[in-house]
Amino acid sequence: MTMRRTQKEIPPSFVSAPVAGVASLIVPGLGQALARQLWRGLLLLASLATSIGLFLWRVGDLAPHEVGLVAKYLKAFDRRELFVGLFTLGIVILWLGIAWDAYKQVKTDHKGGAGVFFIVLALLFALGWQVGEIDLYKMITEIPDAWGPIQRIAWPWEAAIDRDIEMIVAGAEILSPCDELPPPAAPVEMPDEPYVVADPTCGDLTTREGVTEIPGTQITLIGRNFAPNTETPIYWADPLGNEFRLRSEGAYLSVMTDENGAFEITITMPYRLIPPSSEGRQIHIVEARQIASVGGAHASTELMQCIEGIVESIIMGMMATLFGIVFSIPISFLAARNLMSGSTVTMAVYYATRMVLNIIRSIEPLIWVLVAVMVVGLGPFAGILALTVHSIAALAKLYSESIESIDPGPIEAIHATGATRLQTIMFAVVPQMIPPFVSFSIYRWDINVRMSTVIGLVGGGGIGLVLIQYIRLLDYRSAGIAVWFIAITVAILDYVSAEIRQRFV
Amino acid sequence: MLEIKNLTKVYGDGTVALHNVSFDVEPGEFLIIIGLSGSGKSTLLRCINRLIDPTEGQIIWDGVDITAADPQQLRTIRRQIGMVFQHFNLVKRSPVLTNVLSGRLGYVNPWSSVLHRFPPSDRKMAMAALERVGITDQAYKRADELSGGQQQRVGIARALMQQPKMILADEPVASLDPVLAHSILNHLENLNQEEKITVLCSLHYLDLIQRYATRVIGLRGGEIVYRGDRKAIRSMTDEEFKEIYGEEAERVSVGPHDGGVSL
Repeated sequence: MTMRRTQKEIPPSFVSAPVAGVASLIVPGLGQALARQLWRGLLLLASLATSIGLFLWRVGDLAPHEVGLVAKYLKAFDRRELFVGLFTLGIVILWLGIAWDAYKQVKTDHKGGAGVFFIVLALLFALGWQVGEIDLYKMITEIPDAWGPIQRIAWPWEAAIDRDIEMIVAGAEILSPCDELPPPAAPVEMPDEPYVVADPTCGDLTTREGVTEIPGTQITLIGRNFAPNTETPIYWADPLGNEFRLRSEGAYLSVMTDENGAFEITITMPYRLIPPSSEGRQIHIVEARQIASVGGAHASTELMQCIEGIVESIIMGMMATLFGIVFSIPISFLAARNLMSGSTVTMAVYYATRMVLNIIRSIEPLIWVLVAVMVVGLGPFAGILALTVHSIAALAKLYSESIESIDPGPIEAIHATGATRLQTIMFAVVPQMIPPFVSFSIYRWDINVRMSTVIGLVGGGGIGLVLIQYIRLLDYRSAGIAVWFIAITVAILDYVSAEIRQRFV
Repeated sequence: MLEIKNLTKVYGDGTVALHNVSFDVEPGEFLIIIGLSGSGKSTLLRCINRLIDPTEGQIIWDGVDITAADPQQLRTIRRQIGMVFQHFNLVKRSPVLTNVLSGRLGYVNPWSSVLHRFPPSDRKMAMAALERVGITDQAYKRADELSGGQQQRVGIARALMQQPKMILADEPVASLDPVLAHSILNHLENLNQEEKITVLCSLHYLDLIQRYATRVIGLRGGEIVYRGDRKAIRSMTDEEFKEIYGEEAERVSVGPHDGGVSL
């Protein structure tokens, strides 16, 4: 039997309209209660109390050091004039609104509108804005600072490719200072090996007297057989073994090789403070060092790590789903009302199973992973355990519901043919169970792979672990690769699982 | 062939579905049971093959009391009694052929049939049954791809596979439109006349009852309120018909549907 929705008859108010209004002005909600609208009154009183309570909490936060409510309020007003002022006004309007509402309730015979509740909503919204520390100005003005990392995450593929590099080094010896003995010989010119010839091969280092600098000897370097068209920095090594890049007027010195791999550059011998013990004949070395890429491009270590991570994630999701299916099928029978309604004992089992499943399900896998890590340590196994626990609970619920919604008609029909119980199950029950089982299992696999990407963030292994490491290293390019992988995987899975489910149901 | 003696069914919630119902069914009859929804028609049919256990009374099938049969006996009796349902009760996702073959489950080896294995003779028989109801070309489609009328014909083919002596038809045309209703009842009539299969059928529409019944039993509130032979039915007027259906009879004349599952 269906109840017809009727206008509830409310007995007339105890008091007249102005009295109700004044009553609500003194105690908000009292007027409504006197107008036989107790719940409306209580709701409005609660709304006002909540607004004032939250407002005072904010005021306390704004003025933590002041003593006394008035002092706190004044200080808070000082700091956030607009918020405190508007909100005070809002509360006053709400209070008056409640009084007006009480008056209206009596006057219009309980057909008062929802206007007063809009004031409540507006106040709560304003408070939410404050408590949530919403700051759109900050959001917009600080975008430029984050722009670099965002770009690197958005298009990270430069980090996905590596080239093998080779350092091509050749140098010449320089004697300082020049003396009677013959200066170092120029290196032998070899047809295929890179070499550098210096002219002259001896000279004086730059020296300083006070603030004035006396430049050293100028040396012309001629290089041959280097990699063509490549930036080639020039290094200096002193007899003590210190190496450094030469500078010219502050900037690092480097030279471009021509298409034959040759260059010519003139350098000034640098300033060096040589300890007295090594005074005398000193051999310095000037070197041209080229970093040239050889061979083709290949996947970078980061890319490989991301691939391994995503494979690990997908497998984690798969394993968790498999374990989940295996364990949840028997449990789902215990949680199916139509199977368990036989006796009080089975109903008790049913309720107990349901309750445990609900509790497990209400705890997110992210939290289960923390528990699992305590047991088995960091890594994919922890992630699999966490996902499995959650999957069992979720799948058992879905399975049991599909058992409950099975169509009894075919069972009856097969039974009527003289079939045994086992035959009835195989012919009438199993065919009905397959589509929801397959559908829910694939859906769960989809969820588990998604979750496994997140679960790594808290130690569950997989791509999440890789991602959080890159983020902590501020390596946004590599993090970007991981993010892309996650997005692509999730999108593909989403599509595939939807497609399979559609075909099966 | 079938004797029903003082049959009473009281459900767990105290509802009296049948009260002291007694009648005989002779071989070759096309016996139609009429009555409102809730008058006990479905309960009566389901008591006969004990899909529902009666509370009191006896059902004698070829000298055997069905109400006292052990599981093995019950299986043997059930397979002799085919059943056709209002909502067809096909396994929707299984192919038509599998649905038809499932009518053989009472005969085949329980263990090999579990793996959906049937002897070739049964498969041949299934195709013959489908041919008989005129849907051979649908044999490999999923049952739910068929129209309502076709599904009911699959239901009849499934019942045929039992090589039944009797078919119980529980409002077989209530979910179909009137044209299809005649087609389905024609199939049942053919089986009744050619194969000498007794038909026990619950129906609603007077014109169908007059056209097909060889005998009619009227149920109201779980009790038999009318018994009529072929002649009596042919001459039955709307007024008499309404009398059986009781004071709510106007609703019957409004539309062909009885508005849902009746128990």
